Formats: sequence, C-alpha cells, structure tokens
Amino acid sequence: MIEALSLLRLLGGLAALCCLGSGLLAAVLPQPREFRPLERLALSFGSGAVLLTLWMLALTWRGLPFGLGLILGPSLGVAAALFLTPRGRRALSGDLRALAWPRRPGLQGWDWLFAGLLATLFLYACLRAALYPMWAWDAIATWGCKAKVFYLSRGLDLTCIDAHNYYPNLVPLLLSYLYYCLGRVNDHLAQGLFPLWGALLLGLLYSLARRLGLSRRLALGLTAFLALNGTVFVVHLYIAYADLPLAYFTLGAVGLIYLWLAGQAPRGSLSLAALFLAGMAWCKYEGPPLAATVILAAVLTLAWLRPPGTWRRLCSLSLPLAGLALGYLPWRLFISQQHLALGADHIQNFYPQQLAQASAYLMAALIRPYFFGFLWPAVLLAVIAVGRRLWTTPALFLVLFLGGNLLAILLAYAVAPTSAAEFPSYVRASLDRLLLHLTPSAALLLGLGLKYLRRAPGTNDPPPSPQTPLPTPAK
Amino acid sequence: MLSNWKAHLTRILLALWGLQLIWLAWHFAPEARDLARRIGSGEVGAAVRQEDPWYLWSASLSAVIPPDAAYVFVDNYEAGKDIKIGYYLAPRRHLLVSPQSPAAFLFHTLHEEQAAYLIVRDRAKPPGPGVQAALRSQAVLPLKIPGPGQAYRVDYPLFHWGFYD
Repeated sequence: MIEALSLLRLLGGLAALCCLGSGLLAAVLPQPREFRPLERLALSFGSGAVLLTLWMLALTWRGLPFGLGLILGPSLGVAAALFLTPRGRRALSGDLRALAWPRRPGLQGWDWLFAGLLATLFLYACLRAALYPMWAWDAIATWGCKAKVFYLSRGLDLTCIDAHNYYPNLVPLLLSYLYYCLGRVNDHLAQGLFPLWGALLLGLLYSLARRLGLSRRLALGLTAFLALNGTVFVVHLYIAYADLPLAYFTLGAVGLIYLWLAGQAPRGSLSLAALFLAGMAWCKYEGPPLAATVILAAVLTLAWLRPPGTWRRLCSLSLPLAGLALGYLPWRLFISQQHLALGADHIQNFYPQQLAQASAYLMAALIRPYFFGFLWPAVLLAVIAVGRRLWTTPALFLVLFLGGNLLAILLAYAVAPTSAAEFPSYVRASLDRLLLHLTPSAALLLGLGLKYLRRAPGTNDPPPSPQTPLPTPAK
Repeated sequence: MLSNWKAHLTRILLALWGLQLIWLAWHFAPEARDLARRIGSGEVGAAVRQEDPWYLWSASLSAVIPPDAAYVFVDNYEAGKDIKIGYYLAPRRHLLVSPQSPAAFLFHTLHEEQAAYLIVRDRAKPPGPGVQAALRSQAVLPLKIPGPGQAYRVDYPLFHWGFYD
C-alpha cells in the first residue's frame, strides 16, 4: 500500500517535470503541434529536467533550503503562465483533443515483433530498476550519493563528498527532487527514472527516424535494433548513471540540428536544440566538449556545403551556442564561487603508447557484439550506403560529429594520466560509456543509410519546412 | 527495390541480430530468474538491501555516529566497500585512508578533519601501522557494534602528529 502510494507520488513528480517542459516548449516553439505527441513528450521531459535542476542550483545560490513547494511551486507557476499565452492555450487544447481521441497504432506484421521486443525489454528494465536498490559503482559513489546528500542537507552541499565535486549535477538534483516527491530517500523507486529516460530516448530516435523519411516499420526496427544490440544500453536502463541522460540529450541536439541543416526541421527546432545542448553541458563532465563538437560539426558542414544564406545560418548557430553557455556557465560560476577543486589532473602529457593501446580497445569495443552488438558495423555499412552524398548533403554533419568524437576519445586516452598497469582497467571502465553517448546518434546515421538503401535519393522525402533546405544530392 | 547484394547484406545483418537477441536473452537470464524469484517471494526493494551485512552494520553505525560528524574509513578503494559505506552513512563526512598509511598520516587526517570516528573495514585482518599506533594511543575507544568491520570512537584533539615516523 505504502509502495503504491509512493509510486503515485513518483509518477506525479515525473508528470510535473513533463508539464514544466511542455510549458517551455509552448513558449519557444511557434507551433508546438508541428511536433508529434511522442516527440513533444520526449522533448518536454528533457527540457523540464534542465529547467528544474537549474532552478535548484539557483535556490542554493540564493541560500534557500530545498523543499518540494519551493522547487516545484515557482516552476509550475511559470509553466501555467506559459500555458495561458495564446500559443500555449492552442498547444494545450490540441493535446487534450489528441488525448480524448487517441489514434490507434494499427501495427502489422513485423511492427508487432519490434514493438513486442521493446515492450519485453522495458518490462524487464522497469522491474529491474525499481525493485532493486541502487547498487552500481558510480551510482552509489557519485550520482546517488550526491542525490542523497542534497536531499538530506536540503541544498547543494558538497562538504561531505570528497571526490568529483566538480561534476555537473543535473542527475543528482533530479534524483533528489524525486526524493522530495517521495518524501524520503527511496533509491529503488527513484531508479525508475532511468528506464523512463531510455524509453524517451528511443521515442526520440523513432520520431527522428520518421522525420528522416523512414517508414513506421523501418523506424520501429531501427529503434529496436539500437535498444537490443549488446549489453551496454540494456544495463544503463536500470542503473543510476548519467550516461544514458547524456546520450538522450546528445541525440536530441544532434537530431534537431541535423534536421535544421537538412531543411526538414519544424520551426523552433534550434531553440530546442539549444535546450538540449544545455542539458548536455549540465549533465556530465564530458558534456560541454561533446556539445561543442555538435556545434563545430554544424559549422564545418555549412562551411563545406555553402548553402544559400550560409552566413545567416552560421549566425543562427549562436542560439545553440547560447544554450551550451546556459548549461555550462551557472555551474562553473558556482564552482569558482565555492572554490571547488577542478579535475585538472585529466590533462598532463601526451602518451603515444596509450594512443596505440586505446585504438585497439576502441576497435574491439566497436565490433565486439558484447558492447553494442552489430550496431557500429551496421553504421559503417550505412556510411558506405550514403556514399558520395556524404559530400553533398548534411549527412556530412553526422559523420563529422561521430568520426570527430571517436578521434577525441582516442586523444583523451592518449593524455590520460594513468600508469601503464592501470591503463587497461581505466579504459575498460570508461570506454563503453563514452561510446554510449554517441551510439543513439550513430543509429540516426544508420537510419539515413537505410533511407538511401530503400529508395532513390529525393523521392518520398518529408515535406520541406519553411527554412531554406541545403542542396539535395546530385542525381 | 534493393539490389541483390544490398538485400543479401541486409539479410545477413538481420540474421546476426536474431542471434544477438538469443544471446542477450541467455546473458540476462540469471538476472531475470533472480528478479522472478524475488517478485514471487516479495523480497524486493528495501528488502534486497537487508541481505547486505554492510548495510545492516551501517544502519547500526548510523545510530551512533551523528549526521554532522566525520569518520575515517580504513580500506583500499579497489575493494569497493568504501563507496558502499560512504553511501549508507551519507551525509556524514567520509574520509578514506589506506590500511598501509603511516601513523603520522592517519593522525594528521583525524586531527585536521576533526574525525570523531575510525572505521576499519576488516576486523579479522591485522591492522596496518597507522591503526596499530592509534590503538596504542589513549585517544581511540572500540565500539561494541557487531559487524564485518570494527568501529572506534576517536578523541581527535588528543592526536599530536608530525614527521616523526
């Protein structure tokens, strides 16, 4: 009975987050209905999480102790005010209509198999997450421990944590918010956040794949192919790590910017991408450089393709850049104000032998089915399928982002200050997670390859958005 | 339509994925069995943690150590117990010191960090030089809390430390 009540409170807390994000979407999107309901749900949750946790950081800055009323009251007030604007009212009434007359899914044949596989996975992941206490290493050493301390001390108290104080705090603050909703530290129920986050990531991938022009069956197949390939994604569905949220924010930012480059993005997508870049920077220590590479890849793609209005489009990228600053600067300012020690030990020297070793490990991780199954080899095939279009379409953006980050991983290992004996275990403990940040975005590239495999370029593409599209591939 | 080689390649990839799905089911089967057993017996959630002797011991310790106190935990990081005890005893301030640490370092940590408790991970193992020296001093008093390790109350102002060892 108590657990059922707690579950209701947890669901209420998660729904409030979506409500907050949904209000934000109503404010930043000229026409929220241009996004499908599943997309809006997935995007709302991430936006709400970023806004709420930044608000909690602001509360600490002002010296106000956490409490559910103070955390949620003003945030929901802002969301309600946003819903009262004409744009917000339109979005809300449209959503309520859609809820009243939901469309039937109308699955057929293979669709049922893919949907069944995903349903089985999430049944297992939800039970595994919510029925076992927090147990994985980083979950209790860092993210969960911080969440517990923040809840018990009613603020961002870092005095009793002696390691990784400088890590960004989106995930611990979100978990502590859930503890406030639950009324106590209940780490097994709060862990239910992670399968939900995984489901939203997959919902986002499915929606982006549909926007790429894939049929429902192929998009569903691609989603199942990402979720059920290797062990890494599955395990991260039920452990309290920050890597799955970072992968979610990365997919959102990369997908929206790709659609914007391809002229297929709904209006307001860049503003949403900015929120997701903020989420990346505020989610994990690796987030800000990863977010910077998203913008860098977009700049390089525009510079290479030179579509009409290149300069105007380059200037538009200042919006995602502002998003990155929004996620990065508040925490950096807090760190300097509190005189927290930064992890400067990460960069000391360049070690060529580590580069060679890391290259071998990276290759193995990409092709060994244990980690990501056959997804990365399939991505390589997708790049081959994209072929020469790579140089003439925004597919270049995805390849630059993924290729650049694979090189960045090698470089990061080459400068890691570890002993020769320690290096293999250091790589083993981190490489799968670094690849997880990129893998959903890699699945997007796979989707693009599938599109080119299935049909001649240019046919049956989704209708163009009001933006100027980049050049279509030469026929 | 797909050309022949592309269709073959897609079929091979799908077949490999099918095998992968079977392997995944086999890989996660032990965890799934444990999950099913626990659901059947109702031993889920907080009950899982009750099976951990470290949790039970930590619960006894948390009744003794005030939430605003600091403690030194003597263990190697690699053993993994340090993060467990740190999590269970949070928000108490947690300081990790290696069992091989010399007395001066342990005394310095206890004194400077005002750590009122000393916890040794393994009570069966002979203590390291730092803990041995602390036990010989008048500043450490063992607590009678049964568990896998040994906890002590520390009168940290009594520790005088310096580079004498």
